[in-house]
Amino acid sequence: MRLRSRMAIWGGKLACALSRGLGKGNGSSLPGRVARRIDPQILSVMSGMVREKIIAVTGTNGKTTTTSLMAHVLRESGKKVVWNPMGANLMDGAVSSFVLAAKKSGRLDADYACIEVDEMASVRVFPQLKPDCVLVTNIFRDQLDRTCEVDITCGQIQKAMETVPEAKLITNCDDICSFTLAAGCRNPKLTFGIGESIADDMPAGTGESVFCPSCGCRLEYDFIHYGQLGSYHCPECGLKRPEPDMTVTEVVFEGGTYSFTLDGRRIISGAQAPYNIYNTLSVYTALLAVDGPRDGFEEAIKKFDYGNNRECAYQINGARVQLYLTKNPVGFQQKIFLIRRDPEPKDIVIQINDTVLDGEDVSWLWDVDFHYLHEASVASIVTVGTRGADMQVRLKYEDIASRLGRDVKETVEELTKRGSRNLYIITNYSGLYPTIKMLEDMQAADSMGKEGRDR
Amino acid sequence: MKLTIGHLYPDLFNLYGDSGNVQCMKKRLEWRGIEAQVLPLCAGEDIDFGELDIVVWGGGADRGQALAREYLEQIGPDFKNYVEDGGVVLAVCGAFQLLGKYYKTGEGAEDIIKGLGILDIYTERCDERLVGNVVLESALVETPVVGFENHAGRTIIGDVTPFGKVLYGRGNTGDGGYEGVVYKNVIGTYLHGPLLPKNPQVCDWFLERALKNRYGEDAVLTELSDEAELLANRNMVERLGSEKRFQDSDCADGMSGRKKLSEVCR
Repeated sequence: MRLRSRMAIWGGKLACALSRGLGKGNGSSLPGRVARRIDPQILSVMSGMVREKIIAVTGTNGKTTTTSLMAHVLRESGKKVVWNPMGANLMDGAVSSFVLAAKKSGRLDADYACIEVDEMASVRVFPQLKPDCVLVTNIFRDQLDRTCEVDITCGQIQKAMETVPEAKLITNCDDICSFTLAAGCRNPKLTFGIGESIADDMPAGTGESVFCPSCGCRLEYDFIHYGQLGSYHCPECGLKRPEPDMTVTEVVFEGGTYSFTLDGRRIISGAQAPYNIYNTLSVYTALLAVDGPRDGFEEAIKKFDYGNNRECAYQINGARVQLYLTKNPVGFQQKIFLIRRDPEPKDIVIQINDTVLDGEDVSWLWDVDFHYLHEASVASIVTVGTRGADMQVRLKYEDIASRLGRDVKETVEELTKRGSRNLYIITNYSGLYPTIKMLEDMQAADSMGKEGRDR
Repeated sequence: MKLTIGHLYPDLFNLYGDSGNVQCMKKRLEWRGIEAQVLPLCAGEDIDFGELDIVVWGGGADRGQALAREYLEQIGPDFKNYVEDGGVVLAVCGAFQLLGKYYKTGEGAEDIIKGLGILDIYTERCDERLVGNVVLESALVETPVVGFENHAGRTIIGDVTPFGKVLYGRGNTGDGGYEGVVYKNVIGTYLHGPLLPKNPQVCDWFLERALKNRYGEDAVLTELSDEAELLANRNMVERLGSEKRFQDSDCADGMSGRKKLSEVCR
């Protein structure tokens, strides 16, 4: 190994230790930035040390869950895996995960790498990461002030795929946007999709691309799962959803979780949301594509926490507090349907920020159908965040009353002390990790207080 | 009383929350006891402009704009008559551009998208995309107008009034001069947000004109409590103001937003 690369790794590790020591950040991108400054080719060097396969995960929603699910399944089969668990998915984040996984000698002891890659960053990351397989989860409207338009996002991924012509491309063929994306790539391909209805209680809105990408005629749908995902065909030119290479059948929702059959295996999952069926299916398809280990897939899934320590439930002052992350209209809509499934009375806190991480434009809130909250046994809604006032206006225009709170912490304290037993917190990205930390602290303080009283 | 809102091409021009403008108009009519009918006017449908009191046309992705070309030719003459007769129109972003003479996206002859020619404006694309929060001062309303712009086009306006003077942001030509246009009862603007919910007075500007068109000059809008809306508006105005990135006022003077494109497009 070149001395320069080794120094880059040391530099990255040192930066991580320093930033953690100073209590600044979680060290998920700084090591990468430092390492890259020392050796701009560091990612290329390190990805070359992975013994078996490299899988990149990109797309709009579900990247973090899919990546950690993939890493989990591989680890359960005894593989050593490099991955970026914190969802740091730009160039620096990808580099960090390798740098931190490396030994002091600079050697990397890894069979697999599963790397989440931001859609717009894929063009820069793929040529160095050199993935054997690229999994695109789906393409929805996301932070349009950054990605501008869905078509531009697709174009970026297509460009990135050109840099790795051997890589297998895995796409969701229920998604017309992903279908179009794949059609523009010459890579070897594999698709996944679901041909039966998976969520009867979640009405589908119209999403992106109701028009045929090839002739411009209006597409017809036999059914829609959510967003624009479903079974489509063009009545004019005959374009239609292809039969997926891999699918799930006999989907059953019982006791709050999904089970389904996948490639002859009955999967009993902890997945509570329909999109996690897709995430699971996509992981299996990618493993198939790289001929990765699939024995024991059922067992591995059974043990997987789809919340990834991000979307957890907490116990605070006698209340169950469920945290949800939402970043775009399709995701928010799904969270509203999940909340509506819960028949118990509830209070909801919605935190909307507009940092660069979140997207500075919050107009996407108007692409979410909030009127379903009218039938969700909601006792009260409090909005917080830098755009909490915008959220309040959005709800007002569905005739849903809400009040503006100061912050999540104060609101949770207030609501739970006033007797709320069932609380949902929905936050967009920049608020996620601070909120997790805060809820963990509140939960810890609460249980310590209880122990004190019990004694 | 009843007003009919035509939502033009919600299937092609549905970029980023602009349907919130329709929702805003609808609710603000209903809260005043005025019936509001929303007609989604999808691509290819026949449109009877005579039954419409308000036309709302949102932003669209480039693909949507290209697909709309043939439909636009069909409705062009009726749409123009509607506007000349005082018909109320809100056109945002892509729709704003298409109300003009043309939108030039490149150097080739095929790169010119012909507009409806209803407004005396034209647009040319620059490489730099203008993305960010905007605050305007508009003669139409008392409170500052807040919104979010996201456009590659630079729009040069002719014999029409700008919608507002840019206090924060880039505006029609990117130089922080002026934003949008007002022509008769039409407002064309780049502002998403969506525009109306945080600018309730702008919403009422449309509603009042539509109401008077239909029910005569005596028809007036009753007051609504706009506490939440104005708070959200004020939050943005104060925050952006404190960022000290407001344009110097003398920067925009003397141009009337009618700068030559060669001066703004490097």
